[in-house]
Amino acid sequence: MPAREGTYGLLAEFDTPSDLVRAAQQARQDGWRRMDCYTPYPVEEAAEAIGFHRNKVPLVTLIGGLMGCAAMFSLETWISTLAYPLNIAGRPLYSWPAFIIPAYEWTILWAGLSAAFGMLALNGLPALYHPLFNAPNFRDGATTDKFFLCLEALDPKFDLVEAKAYLQQFKPNSVVEVEY
Amino acid sequence: MAHGSQPASHSKALPADLGAPAFVNAWKSRALIVGGISMCIAILLIFLANAQDHLGFDHFYRAWALGTMVTWGLCIGGLALLMVQYCSGGKWGLLLRRPLEAMSRTLPLIIIYFLGLATGMKRLYLWAKYTSDSDTTAALSQHLISEIQKHCLDFKRPMLNPAAFLSVSFLCFAIWGFYAWRLNALGLKRDSQGRETTPFWIKKLENISGPGIVVYALTMTAAAIYWVMSMDPTWYSSVYGLLFLVGQGYATLAFSIIVAVSLSKAEPFKTLLRQTEQHDLGKLTFAFVMLNIYLAFGQFLIIWSGNLPDEINWYLDRIRGGWGVIITLDFIFHWLIPFTMLLSRDLKRNKKRIVRVCQWMIFARAFDMFWLIEPNFKDAARNLHFSWGILEYIAVPVALFSFWLAYFCTQLKTRPLVQTNDPHLEEILEPEHVHA
Repeated sequence: MPAREGTYGLLAEFDTPSDLVRAAQQARQDGWRRMDCYTPYPVEEAAEAIGFHRNKVPLVTLIGGLMGCAAMFSLETWISTLAYPLNIAGRPLYSWPAFIIPAYEWTILWAGLSAAFGMLALNGLPALYHPLFNAPNFRDGATTDKFFLCLEALDPKFDLVEAKAYLQQFKPNSVVEVEY
Repeated sequence: MAHGSQPASHSKALPADLGAPAFVNAWKSRALIVGGISMCIAILLIFLANAQDHLGFDHFYRAWALGTMVTWGLCIGGLALLMVQYCSGGKWGLLLRRPLEAMSRTLPLIIIYFLGLATGMKRLYLWAKYTSDSDTTAALSQHLISEIQKHCLDFKRPMLNPAAFLSVSFLCFAIWGFYAWRLNALGLKRDSQGRETTPFWIKKLENISGPGIVVYALTMTAAAIYWVMSMDPTWYSSVYGLLFLVGQGYATLAFSIIVAVSLSKAEPFKTLLRQTEQHDLGKLTFAFVMLNIYLAFGQFLIIWSGNLPDEINWYLDRIRGGWGVIITLDFIFHWLIPFTMLLSRDLKRNKKRIVRVCQWMIFARAFDMFWLIEPNFKDAARNLHFSWGILEYIAVPVALFSFWLAYFCTQLKTRPLVQTNDPHLEEILEPEHVHA
């Protein structure tokens, strides 16, 4: 992919999550779709305000967990009944109560790994570059105490002058243009 | 967190009337009707069962024990959760404080239930029926008890005898009564004072509750051992008290969620119950669902692995002769269904559905208790069979639970539903996105 050039979007900075959520809700209502919120901690209402949609991480986690469970339980069954059948205190070879704990551990392990790697695979991390880091106020504030709304240039409604005026109505601390 | 440029945000105001809504009275009268009808059915069943197998009163008292254990779990489980939230803090604690206080104030009714249990002592506990070495020798010669039962009864007599049973039980009631009275009295006193006293109260209630949780764990273990475990004098398990403790947390959280969500149909809970706290409570309940199966399965696995004759019989009594169906259903009811349901984030945030799951969990707790209690007795061990007496396990617990619920509603109405002298109150009135 050739390097993109030009404007990535307009970044508005807010002091409080309430202001951000209000702006994001209004923008969504006014038809904006290519936009994103950036906050120092998870703000669920902001995600809802920009039309949060479901992702597949829970499904990946469930499948990973079930696979781990099935794999370990089958492994134990195979070892105990076919590969190395041992008489342990006269118990049946297929002694399922003893298989539960490793199977459970593998369920947790695989569910956890699937959640972590599934999340990374689905959200495109690790990203080596993101244009928003070109904005100095974003670098300083996004991980501490500022709340950002970015209207992206890919949105068909986007026009540099109009979008800037549009964001100004929410009385943000600043609106800056971010280059790719 | 302060609101910046636009102070007219969507923060809410505390409603003027903080009392329990009027429909709590309707719950109360409904509970009384259900309780009365169930008790009539239970008494009718005694005679039906007596005509069938002469075990009518036995089953009545066994079912009474079940009902007592479930309501006792909600009463002192409420007391324990009240102490936990004073130590842990959190907005869910503020939300539940008054319902939990009301649960802890139902202790007098539990004492009455316990007195009922004590009158049926001879039918429930072998050690109450055979109180001396000569009694057990005579019973053994008539094949009323087995040799191992005689041995255990004689050996454990210093602990398992009616006098010790009653004194330990009343000591426990006195201790729980003290904590319930102290925390309830201080809760009101705190409200009568100003905001500046908050640090004092936080410290004070923490200092009572912290040791209180330890005392609760010890006393409820003693009670669980005397009241339920000793129905089989031959068996013991060191995790028994903890299993009951977790079971109480399981049922108490489920009941608290039902109460909080049902109250949210009207003020003040309509304003106070936010999705965030409902979700938090759902997650906490989920943790108890996990811990419960973890301990129950751990106990089973250890005894199954050991396969020793003095331990394994307890499980064989509860697996063989048809009981395998009950233990399988118990696993499904008690763990599989709540676990798979509560995994869902959407369900935990949906008022209607989470209440359904919580109601189911309280039923599952009673079902588990049926599996714990009924196979202790000779006529039922390794022999699950239908009799009219089995139906007592539905009628009596429903009656006892309904009467308890009515008493809980009475207690709930005696106080405002919100503690106002608490810094969490302002936060709970703010919109959900303000706090991380």
